[in-house]
Amino acid sequence: MSVETAVQSETIFDVKNITLRFGGVVSLRDVSLHMKRGEILAVIGPNGAGKTSLFNSLTGVYEPQEGHIDFTDRHGRTISVIGKKTHRIARAGVSRTFQASRVFSALTVFENVKIGAESHAGIGAVGAIVRGPATRRGERVSDDLTLELLDFVGLRKDANLIASALSYGGRRRLEIARAIATDPDVILLDEPAAGTNPSEKLELAALIRRVRDERSISVLLIEHDMKLVMSLAERIYVLNFGGVLAEGTPAEIRANQSVVEAYLGTSTTEEKG
Amino acid sequence: MTFVRLPQVKRLVSIVLVTAVVTLMTGESGNATTPPTTGPHGAFFERVSYFGLFGARRWMVFLTIGLLVYGFTFLYERYMPPVRRKVRTVTALPMRLVQKRTSRFAMYAVAIVILLAIPHIVTQTYWMYLIVEQVGVWILLAEGLNVVVGFAGLLDLGYVAFYAIGAYTTAWMTGVLPAPPFLHHVIPTLWVIPIAVLAAMAVGVMLGIPTLRLRGDYLAIVTLGFALIVDDYVGNQNGITGGGEGSLQVPHFAIDLGFWHYHWGIGPVPYYYLCLIFVALFMVIFTLLEHSRVGRSWVAIREDEVAAESIGINPLKYKVMAFAIGAASGGFAGVLSAGLIGNINPTMFQYQASINILILVIFGGMGSIWGVALGAVFVQLITSYMDNYQPWGFQINDLYMYIGALLIVMMIFRPAGLMPSRRRKREIQSFEETGEGHLDDVLTVDDS
Repeated sequence: MSVETAVQSETIFDVKNITLRFGGVVSLRDVSLHMKRGEILAVIGPNGAGKTSLFNSLTGVYEPQEGHIDFTDRHGRTISVIGKKTHRIARAGVSRTFQASRVFSALTVFENVKIGAESHAGIGAVGAIVRGPATRRGERVSDDLTLELLDFVGLRKDANLIASALSYGGRRRLEIARAIATDPDVILLDEPAAGTNPSEKLELAALIRRVRDERSISVLLIEHDMKLVMSLAERIYVLNFGGVLAEGTPAEIRANQSVVEAYLGTSTTEEKG
Repeated sequence: MTFVRLPQVKRLVSIVLVTAVVTLMTGESGNATTPPTTGPHGAFFERVSYFGLFGARRWMVFLTIGLLVYGFTFLYERYMPPVRRKVRTVTALPMRLVQKRTSRFAMYAVAIVILLAIPHIVTQTYWMYLIVEQVGVWILLAEGLNVVVGFAGLLDLGYVAFYAIGAYTTAWMTGVLPAPPFLHHVIPTLWVIPIAVLAAMAVGVMLGIPTLRLRGDYLAIVTLGFALIVDDYVGNQNGITGGGEGSLQVPHFAIDLGFWHYHWGIGPVPYYYLCLIFVALFMVIFTLLEHSRVGRSWVAIREDEVAAESIGINPLKYKVMAFAIGAASGGFAGVLSAGLIGNINPTMFQYQASINILILVIFGGMGSIWGVALGAVFVQLITSYMDNYQPWGFQINDLYMYIGALLIVMMIFRPAGLMPSRRRKREIQSFEETGEGHLDDVLTVDDS
């Protein structure tokens, strides 16, 4: 793992003092965040704290009015995220899943992942009609990658099923496979464990760890399930009322008095009850 | 009263009501202009019959059709569902291909033989003309619009503009418009095909780039406006397009390769074959696109634009592509009908035609290439027949009432169309079952 420690120091996301407003409502207030390559970073916070807004700002869905967001890919190219279109940021290497799972329900499980896999294949309309050797090679490469990823998330047997026929946990895994298929540097998971049962949660945690370890993709996740966050994340940011309340390792966060007051205290009792 | 809530009873009542509405809507022929003999103060039944409920016997026809549909759906629901629900898992890929190949080749072979033989079966010139002009051209239009509406999910209410552009480019290039032809050089009609198709595609791109940033309803209105502009332009620019008269002398197609010469002439049969070739060509191209990366991207954008963007699909690029590709077959339809009929005028390209094309797409099944072709054949042949033979006192003025009623019934019982595309059907199914994954819930990312 010496290679990993070598790249560990690298920055992947550098968010500096972003503020996002919708009319008079401030959704994010002066938020700064630093994410290193190869880490599993979690963002937690009570409802309405601005976690999904942060994700949407990182992927170009929202444009913060103030601040900078820099993303650095594995080749060391740095782009400024704010003002870029979502699909360009996705192509640069930022992939995501959604809070309410958003699989393409009219397509099969296989096709869902294939769309992601072929996002880098240069197949245009002309290529699709003529079907020359380059197109066929591109198709074969993305087919192979798709099958590999379906194996990776354990959905190979469901490849020809319609995506909407999957269980909730299955759709979660499908979304992750689709996101990985675009060959990203970092994957943003928005509450991946929401609505899954305890055994699915364990599998999911294992899957997320494998995404990082086996495919060397950094993971940024929003999650409400404290047990999952504490066991998975290496570093945690706590958001409250649109601002950063605290930052640190799981142990530090657990010990932080203001965090316990604002969030963990109520949440952990809920978790137990 | 609880039995009223039974779905079967509800459906029966709704069918009777639809029948009554359709009967009232269509009314007695000619009643719109002939006042009732006893005036508005006449007896109740006379007044009712003024609206055609009892005056016309057609309510019996409608009720019979309605009850037949009811009986059919009753039996269908009763015996089909267990079978239908189970077909959700698709068989493994290699198996599916084997099944497809054999049955499909047989199907294609039969279809090709029948289509090639049609000029020998239909010997009346009049009907051959109808088949090319009313069916062939409209299949091309419907297939093109299907790319835009069915594949990419963009509601284009001005599609007829591309038809007009194809037809007027033909007239312009062959030098029969008041405007001098391009570079003052007349081009033989057949060679106009690629130019007109490219012109329509270019206009599609030009219209698409600024407008396709709009979503749903807004796009529909912009495209409607575009069609109205094109219609008014060709109708009013007497010095350029010939105004209301258009052009009466578009030459017939001719091909001249030096060693081989062919002239299409006045008969419809050569045009039929030309049309057949191009319908087949466009259908093959659209099928290839549907199952390629482009087609999958269209589905992704149609279903969930935000999710599509998140995996690197540029929605604007693919939407513009859909516009341009859809415009190609519309443009070709314009060339074909200009060459066949020999005259073009603005009445052919009024916005009503856009709606007619849309009806064919919806009727056949949005997104289904074969469904749309079949729908176009079905609707266009029936309308032509009704217009010519006028059974049951049918009048062409009433046509849209019947088509409207047909669409209402279709939407109730077969919302995905005559021959639904597999993808569209799944979309509707999954929406009905889970309420998820539908077109319009994009950007409802709630923050928590």
